[in-house]
Amino acid sequence: MRRSLFFILGILTVYEISYAQWLGISGVTASLEKTELGGPRIVIEYDLHEDEITPESPAYVFVRFSKDSGATWSLIPHNYLSGQGSPIVESGGHKGILWWGIEETGFPSIDQIQFQVRGIRMVRIPAGEFTMKSTPGGGYDSKRIGNRVSSLPGFYMAKCETAVSMYADYLNEVGGNGAGWNSQMSDTLRCGIEQTGSSPAYSYKVMPGRENYPVTFVSWYDAVAFLDWCGLHLPSEAQWEKAYRGGRFLEGDSLKQQPNPLPERKFPWGNESPGEGEVFRCNGRGEEDGFAHTAPVESFPEYSSTYGICDLAGNVAEWTIDWYTTTYHVDLDGIRMVRGGSWRSFPSGLDAISGATSLPLRESGIMGFRGAFEF
Amino acid sequence: MAAMGRREFFKSSIGAAAALSAVSTRRSVASTDKVILGVMGVGGRGTQLAGWFAQMPDVEVAYLCDVNERRFDRALEMVETSQGKTPELVKDFRRILDDKNVDVLVNATLDHWHALGSILACQAGKDVYVEKPLSHCIWEGRKMIEAARKYERVVQVGTQTRSSAYVQKGIEYIKAGNLGEIHLVRVNNFMEKPGRKKGPVEPVPDGLDWDMWCGPAPLVPYSPGQWWMDLWDFSTGSIANEIVHQLDLARMLVGIGYPTSVYQAGGVHFFHDGREIPDTQLATFEFGDLTLMMEAAIWTPYIKKIPHSIRDSDNFPNWPFTSTKVEICGSEGMMNFGRQGGGWQAYDKHGELVHSEPGRQGDPDHLRNFIDCVRERKTPAADMEEGHISTLFCHLANISYRVGHRKLKFDPQSHTFVGDEEANRFLKRDYRQPWVVPDKV
Repeated sequence: MRRSLFFILGILTVYEISYAQWLGISGVTASLEKTELGGPRIVIEYDLHEDEITPESPAYVFVRFSKDSGATWSLIPHNYLSGQGSPIVESGGHKGILWWGIEETGFPSIDQIQFQVRGIRMVRIPAGEFTMKSTPGGGYDSKRIGNRVSSLPGFYMAKCETAVSMYADYLNEVGGNGAGWNSQMSDTLRCGIEQTGSSPAYSYKVMPGRENYPVTFVSWYDAVAFLDWCGLHLPSEAQWEKAYRGGRFLEGDSLKQQPNPLPERKFPWGNESPGEGEVFRCNGRGEEDGFAHTAPVESFPEYSSTYGICDLAGNVAEWTIDWYTTTYHVDLDGIRMVRGGSWRSFPSGLDAISGATSLPLRESGIMGFRGAFEF
Repeated sequence: MAAMGRREFFKSSIGAAAALSAVSTRRSVASTDKVILGVMGVGGRGTQLAGWFAQMPDVEVAYLCDVNERRFDRALEMVETSQGKTPELVKDFRRILDDKNVDVLVNATLDHWHALGSILACQAGKDVYVEKPLSHCIWEGRKMIEAARKYERVVQVGTQTRSSAYVQKGIEYIKAGNLGEIHLVRVNNFMEKPGRKKGPVEPVPDGLDWDMWCGPAPLVPYSPGQWWMDLWDFSTGSIANEIVHQLDLARMLVGIGYPTSVYQAGGVHFFHDGREIPDTQLATFEFGDLTLMMEAAIWTPYIKKIPHSIRDSDNFPNWPFTSTKVEICGSEGMMNFGRQGGGWQAYDKHGELVHSEPGRQGDPDHLRNFIDCVRERKTPAADMEEGHISTLFCHLANISYRVGHRKLKFDPQSHTFVGDEEANRFLKRDYRQPWVVPDKV
């Protein structure tokens, strides 16, 4: 359980939120400043209590505000904000965010604004080339073809799959009428979010011990809605695959002389099969890896990708933003691509190439997601 | 099977519905027993079928089978959460056939595996639910019927709209003469499909039995990408895979059976990706004083399938831009008929809308009908012969194309082309050992 401090201007409010995967943020204050030429701005300050925030593994910080005493909340768009306190924060400690243009947001009174500041641990993937859609020993790519070497601009990806605790927090803001909720989420083996009350005031709580498990039974639309709420988006397949394999050069290009020793690796850790030598490197099919269903995120930290991203292989298969087919499936859009395999997958289904297709409405106990961000 | 006009066929098919009930020698499934089934092929459709069957309280999905183990996880999750019991996973469908406790094989494989898988299942004493198009060539479609009849199997083809209530209402409306004399039926299928993208030859990936995947078709080097869909060796084609539903529907509505002629125009017009099977097909079939026009293309982005929000509602699609429809043209009126729910609407000779009948998709009723027929040993709604005839239209159109857009005469009695040896060479395909459809089933 972490605490977060909400500040109504001039009034300090301590507000306890039961989330586990949000980063440790406290001491949130906000004050109004008038500038000589730039108009008013709000200065939001907070303390980020995380020891391992670095440029390679930064925090993604987003701010939501309410101007009606918490009845409704909105995300402050990143382009309204400046300062070292958002969106990408490269070290812990005391941080500041400047919010410009507040006169345009129509506050009845500046004293009534409430803020929620949250952070997600991310990983930086530098710009540069990577090997896509091919592995030694055979890559299975039944749906797509691409060039062997591709290139991407730099981006950030969430270190972990979106956790039950984060999603429950989200539901408590937006899910009063049941939006985003699936009754199967109360399955304690596959998810673990309980709904109580009645519409339009449902509330949600994490079932004991389930805080750090990946959220499941989310459709593509649910995943996108949650990430919109955070100011993030689903990764593309290309982003996902580069995160999985690493770039040809781990620091972006040849000048920094950090070649990826295995740019065509089959798995995030290398080419060893997930259970080779009775060492279990991810949560796949069977219980020998220690998990019969989903595992808490980051359960196999020593087998993360070269960038330190966890659970890209196994645990839950992850929605991407990419479509497989054309739009002749009217009003359901096209079929989406899902990557990474899940706790039900055979080893072959966990590799860098394997992907599944799914109608975006599907909600399953083997599917989850994580977010991505770029400037 | 004698050639017959459409009215004779219509009467005959009604009579056949009761014929099976007396002939089965297999034990009936006791009313308290579950029907035990195995699903062969858990791609998109197979997974969907597995999930639906698993939700039926009197059915148990005991096996999931696929040559590619990557496909198991989604189907397994769906089945286990639906029925509370874990099916066994196998890569060889013959394991399902060997299990004496299994009653049904659901065959949701690619076209080139429909015949052999279903025939072997019949020989093993299993009833079969086989996806459309029924067969990969005309000859093997007949062999499938022979096997089903010989071993007294209940075989349902996956033309699920047959089981939708709005279809019967359409039939009654037409039979009552509301459209006058029917002389023209137009069967449409327009879509926007992506082009083929064949990857380079690569080693066969772990977990994929490529030899078995190729099965009766030639063993070709493995390449990623969905390149097989529009090649004669593996498929009846993208158009056939979809339009067979509408053809089946059209036959039901106006009561037509075996066509006796075909002429095809079209070809590979849009895609330049190495495909063999046409992306544009217009074919005419003659039934005495009725002509059926099949019109299809797979590069038309402005024409859409019936929206999901309409399929099971009381609303109707935008007919001119509806991908999967049948138009029935009579002397007194016409009817637009949707294949995926969407209902039907009838217009009088002045073009005024005179009747609207909302539709619902047929999958739940179709599967229920099949299971009930398995229990009661009755002929199901989409019996194998019906599936064969509807698929035959697609084969005839393809063969007319392959012999150079020639008009062909077909004899339903002998199941051969009249006076056309070149066309007759396409009746049967070559099979790769050991996956050979036998002459004697």
